[in-house]
Amino acid sequence: MNATRPVEQALWWLAAVPATMVIVVGFGFPLVQSVVASFTREGVLTLANYELVYRLYRQDVAYTIQVAAAGLALTFGIGIPLSGYLRLHRSQTAEFLLKVPLFVPFVVVGHAMRIFLAPRGTLLVGLHALGLASQDATLGIGEGALGLAVALAWKHLALVVLLLMGAFRGVGEEYLEAARGFGAGTFRQIWAVLVPMAAPSIGLAVVLSLTSMLASFSIPLMMSKGSGPQMLMIDLYYRYGQHGDFGVASAIGVVSYILAAGAAYYYLKGVTR
Amino acid sequence: MAASGRRSAQDRPRGLSSLVLRAALVTVLLVAIVGPLAGLVLWSVAERWHWPAALPQQIGLKFWIRITQGDLLKALNRSVVIATVTTVAALAAAIPVSYGAARARLPLGPVVLMLFLLPQAFPQLPVFASATVLFYRWNLAGTFLGVVLIHLVGGLVYTVWTMTAVFRAIGEDVEEAAINLGASVTRTFFRISLPLALPGVVASAILVFIYSLDEFTGTLLVGAPYVTTLPVYMYTASLGYELQIASVTALVLMVPGILLLVLLERFLRAEYLAFFGRL
Repeated sequence: MNATRPVEQALWWLAAVPATMVIVVGFGFPLVQSVVASFTREGVLTLANYELVYRLYRQDVAYTIQVAAAGLALTFGIGIPLSGYLRLHRSQTAEFLLKVPLFVPFVVVGHAMRIFLAPRGTLLVGLHALGLASQDATLGIGEGALGLAVALAWKHLALVVLLLMGAFRGVGEEYLEAARGFGAGTFRQIWAVLVPMAAPSIGLAVVLSLTSMLASFSIPLMMSKGSGPQMLMIDLYYRYGQHGDFGVASAIGVVSYILAAGAAYYYLKGVTR
Repeated sequence: MAASGRRSAQDRPRGLSSLVLRAALVTVLLVAIVGPLAGLVLWSVAERWHWPAALPQQIGLKFWIRITQGDLLKALNRSVVIATVTTVAALAAAIPVSYGAARARLPLGPVVLMLFLLPQAFPQLPVFASATVLFYRWNLAGTFLGVVLIHLVGGLVYTVWTMTAVFRAIGEDVEEAAINLGASVTRTFFRISLPLALPGVVASAILVFIYSLDEFTGTLLVGAPYVTTLPVYMYTASLGYELQIASVTALVLMVPGILLLVLLERFLRAEYLAFFGRL
């Protein structure tokens, strides 16, 4: 490219200012402000906010990790065999169906799952209509950890399958043919060839889903019944919105940054090893 | 790649068991994916529905008519206006950054690009709560402008990164030809590069428009209590156990995305699709 003149370079800088300002003012600065606020109380440097987080929300940290882990197990327990199967046996209908959740907003997923998994929600209505549930049955999973994990997995499965299918398609046909030559069936080809060869992509998909699930807000908010253990983001929202306690809310936020960064760190460590 | 996948399936013709397995897979997926959404459709037309009836006892469009009047219509209008303004602003702000970064004209281009990944790398809620504290100080909380700004934070991530990819894909040789023929850099950009980038601009615009339409977290915090968009309206309705209204709103929110999925399925590139997962 031709060498750019200083005046022109200055103009490009200038044109880039508005967008950069939006990110700095709307995200970068608030990010720093929340970290600072988590260590201060009435202008004094203190760990009091974190003490309160430890006292009040310790169990919710564990609960959040549990829900995310369960959601992850569901997503990949279904996603890996499914993507592998679809890589070996193409099905346009299945691939189309799997894309649908990508286009359903998180809030809508939360509401849909709330009425689907409610104690007498549309899932139980369907089961009852098929004669699979009695008239006085109720469904117990909707408001608990499992219901949340199911909802999160439903939404994330689409992106995970998309990422995994891309990675699995990148595995050369010759490896699969060689495996078939030795008599490998569908499952053998998935576990012995596709999964090990696409391991870095699977790792990336795990980290992306895990961080997104740990920080999930709209789905738990739509599904929360307001008592019992809560996801961290729900605690943060109520701490900030109802108690007006920005300090403790920020400390919960910093815990969530650390959880997200932790997932990313383990991923990077795994890749560079 | 696609062809090789198809070949592998054809090379190994399987019997009845394989056919049954595929049919079962599609059926399970249909139930699991369409099932929860079908519940929304049923609830949106259920004027009366008591357990354990398989279908609502009384079906009607009473709640759908609410789209044409009152609060729901107001929320719909506001959502569309905010999404339109956000889309135009996000494109206008992103194009110089993307073009500059793609052509290595922007000093520190890679660093600037990384900045636009921040909102993807950190949990949104704590940062948006913090931004709301700032916006209160600047009298931006509860205002139209405040909501557009918070939508731009997320929206710019899509526009900057997709437009950078789009400009990188346009060969520099056509631009150099124009410049060698005496066109100025600005004229080259507007007459050559931008028209060539138009399909990318459209794809990028659709992404941001849908992102803004669906944005919930930032709007809930920054918009409260005066700016109610459709997702916030749905949340409020659901909070008050107005399941029908919430379901109607949910279905309206799904329309643009599903339309896009059906119409553009063949044309949408996988990398754009991947962006949707982060909505």
